Amino acid sequence: MKRFISTFLSLILLFCLTPLLQSSDIFPYDYKVEVLENGLKIVSIPLDNPHIISHYVIVRSGSRNEIEPGKSGFAHFFEHMMFKGTKDMPREVYDDFLTELGAGTNGYTTDDYTCYFVVLAGRENLEKVIKAEADRFINLYYDEEMLKTEAPVIEGEYYASVSNPGRRLFEVLRDTAFMKHSYKHTTLGYLQDILDMPNQFEYSQLFKKRFYAPDNTILLVAGDFDHDQLMEYVKKYYSGWEKSNYTLVTPEEPPQTKAKRAHYEWPSKTLPRLVIGFHGPAFSDEKIDKAALDLLAETSFSRSSALYQKLVIEEQKCLSLYASFADRRDPYLLTFNAVVKDEKDLPYVEQEIIKELERLKKEPVSEEFLADIKSNMKYSFASALGTTDGIASSLAHYINLTADPGTVNKLFDFFDKVSPADIQKMCQKYFVKTNSTVVTLSGGKTK
Amino acid sequence: MRKHVKLVLTGAIVLGLAFTIVSCRKISPNKFSSEFLYREGNPLVGFRILLNVGSVNDPAGKEGLCTLALSILANGGSQSLTFKEIQKKFYPMATSVGLSVEKEMSVFTGTVHVDNLEKYYAIFKDMLLAPGFREDDFKRIKTNQLNFLEKTLVSNMDEQFGKEILNLLMYEGHPYGHHEAGTLETLKALTVDDVKAFYTEHFIQGNITIGVIGGYPWDFPSRIIKDFSALSEGHTPQLSLPEQRMPEGLEIVIADKGTPATAMSMGFPVSISKADDDYFALWIAVSHFGEHRQSLSLLFQKIREERGQNYGDYAYADHFIQGRRKFPAQNYCRQQQYFSIWIRPLANSNRHFALRQALLELKKLVEEGIPEERFEITRTYLLNYTRLYAQTLSEILGWKMDSRYYGHKDFLAEFQKRLPQIMHDDVNRAIKKYLNFENLYIALITQDAESFKDALVNNTPSPITYANPKMPEEILEEDKIYQVFPLDVKPENVRVVQAISFFQKEGVPKK
Repeated sequence: MKRFISTFLSLILLFCLTPLLQSSDIFPYDYKVEVLENGLKIVSIPLDNPHIISHYVIVRSGSRNEIEPGKSGFAHFFEHMMFKGTKDMPREVYDDFLTELGAGTNGYTTDDYTCYFVVLAGRENLEKVIKAEADRFINLYYDEEMLKTEAPVIEGEYYASVSNPGRRLFEVLRDTAFMKHSYKHTTLGYLQDILDMPNQFEYSQLFKKRFYAPDNTILLVAGDFDHDQLMEYVKKYYSGWEKSNYTLVTPEEPPQTKAKRAHYEWPSKTLPRLVIGFHGPAFSDEKIDKAALDLLAETSFSRSSALYQKLVIEEQKCLSLYASFADRRDPYLLTFNAVVKDEKDLPYVEQEIIKELERLKKEPVSEEFLADIKSNMKYSFASALGTTDGIASSLAHYINLTADPGTVNKLFDFFDKVSPADIQKMCQKYFVKTNSTVVTLSGGKTK
Repeated sequence: MRKHVKLVLTGAIVLGLAFTIVSCRKISPNKFSSEFLYREGNPLVGFRILLNVGSVNDPAGKEGLCTLALSILANGGSQSLTFKEIQKKFYPMATSVGLSVEKEMSVFTGTVHVDNLEKYYAIFKDMLLAPGFREDDFKRIKTNQLNFLEKTLVSNMDEQFGKEILNLLMYEGHPYGHHEAGTLETLKALTVDDVKAFYTEHFIQGNITIGVIGGYPWDFPSRIIKDFSALSEGHTPQLSLPEQRMPEGLEIVIADKGTPATAMSMGFPVSISKADDDYFALWIAVSHFGEHRQSLSLLFQKIREERGQNYGDYAYADHFIQGRRKFPAQNYCRQQQYFSIWIRPLANSNRHFALRQALLELKKLVEEGIPEERFEITRTYLLNYTRLYAQTLSEILGWKMDSRYYGHKDFLAEFQKRLPQIMHDDVNRAIKKYLNFENLYIALITQDAESFKDALVNNTPSPITYANPKMPEEILEEDKIYQVFPLDVKPENVRVVQAISFFQKEGVPKK
């Protein structure tokens, strides 16, 4: 294993010309972190890749922050409103500015954060981008009418996904598994809340005040630029942004005390689906739990696992089978997902998944297989770092979790340390029946 | 179209010049060509094994065979390893083999870290050159293909379903006129012997371009060349396609389905592709009208930004397969192309209004052209934006290969060179020459299809209502024009079809 790490790192280091030569970190690029007086954190990764610069503004607010009833989906809605411009640079001017720049730009909202990115060519354009982005974060302006016009777009986005049964299954799972925490709803939100968005102008102002502030935001810039020059621009344009000082308290999810189950009848023909969720831990780079569970997900549900081979390749009961232990800031769900070919096999597939989890409580995984998993995770991460934007987008995920770019190295250090016994212990801790939620979906009626 | 420049690389040349050769001319149509792009110090190696064969090569009555045959290569075992063993070996390398099958082109893709190149290539090579064709792989992959057609495409992804209906409608009776996955009827009848026969007939040297990019060892190209030389020489002649049929007026298919949202795709064939000089001017026009997933798009501004009706509205000068992804994919080249408009799902109550909007804006584009200031801004935009098109190794290689297909040395570089020379008049001339607003194929997925048909045929006014009671006056004034914009829809040109009837057999179902 050690030899592998050494070879791997020597090659990945070739990727950039400013590697951390003395380090064994999985993230091989030099980065600098600075914090302005108003709390805005800047993570800067100058690279020798010519021309391209990725400019990411990470607001640490997502659907997790939608703690009041009736406000589900609001972080995502607010992301849309962030494209409305300012008095100095109204939407049309902002759009034309980005258009002329030819920048790849957009935003996305997750459970925990909202990210606004501009991928541009040419370091001569960096100051213009920082100026425009700082302007809209500090001086965003829209009136009630603009909000009412934008709100139905979310309804349209909901409709764009309405024919996707996987999305529906996921909505039902979260709604069933969580009682209090805002992870109960998805990022898109409940339809009834989406329909009420046109009436939420005042709340939108409150949402902005609470969360769109420098002390809740990280600016991540990677690519072809000079760090000192970047900081000069950032200080010039972002220093006037006022702190929020708001502290979010998310509702604590009570421990689940009995097994839950739900079924959703899809209105037309579809492949049946099954998801089994267990409440798990929050992301942490200080405790080994989450790292061990990540490895467990791969151990028994990756394409090379015995269960996948049995259900997907040999018996051909499933179209797909995978486990997903997403990184979240608060305790979240560990899920086992299957798309099944025949509805009558749903109970069998469920039983096989449970059987595998029971086996893992009793039998440790082999050291050899665990080494394969660790190798897979490292090569996967390395592949994602193939472009400037790949570096920025990969790191954005981890920065959101702890506000520390070093967290990715800490996590991979944990992966190296996880033993078969750690995985077994985590299985015993989390995969108990009373902590489970099973949701099935099938469809027969057609029109 | 410019003559397709074909290139070849012989083993002898490669041995001596592995680090400098980018590509070599093809000396015989029966030998493979290659594209080796060495990137010093890059720890990744990307593969694109391109096959000039696609669903147009499905024999009559065996539609779906190309996809099935190539899927068994990408997702099945080789003679020496079962698929289970392959997955186990690929797993620690975090790699796989990808496949896309299009009308006239298919591509196997893969990316691997140089640490694992030798192990990966040994398996990859056997998957393609010595496939196992096992019965259990065949059964699994065929079932998946059937399920995709019958359940997933029709019931779970209306946006894609709409695009596929448009294809069926636009290419009825044409070799493009069936889905790459085939039909339920033909797919069910396919056998392992069909798959083997297809492979033997088409997986031959002259059909293949070997593409490799990254920090591979100096002797790697020569080894690949040697391995692929074991394939039979020969090539599948490029199919001589019939002329594309232009729609006569508005030819509409409405798929009836219980859904709260209407999906729309529309378009018509065009006699232009990336090989033509006019393409660059037309690209500016279509980018202005509907650049994919960018606020630059006029349709996006009119339908989404100003009125909040849906998530996005775009237009394309040629075949475009990306949905949520931003940049165009590679290795989807075709001899014949089409212009299209994609209106993302919107509330059924707004379907008539949005269709009128799209067609009226198209009419204005054709009649009035692109405004001078929008021409300038769009040209500048494209000059910068296309610099982002090829970021990953696989994208760089893919664009290079597509450049060859369309007769360019480097299409993106050519674009940078040509665009500054294109004038406003060139763009408006291209619009007049290639676009029209009266003859379109239109694919719709909605509920109560018959009532929508009636409204279309009768030109029933379709006013829109807003959540915002204070919509800007200019928007409301414009709405008055949109809501009564007459569409010349003849009842005999509207077919209402049950959604579940699609893909049972070839073409647009009768009901």
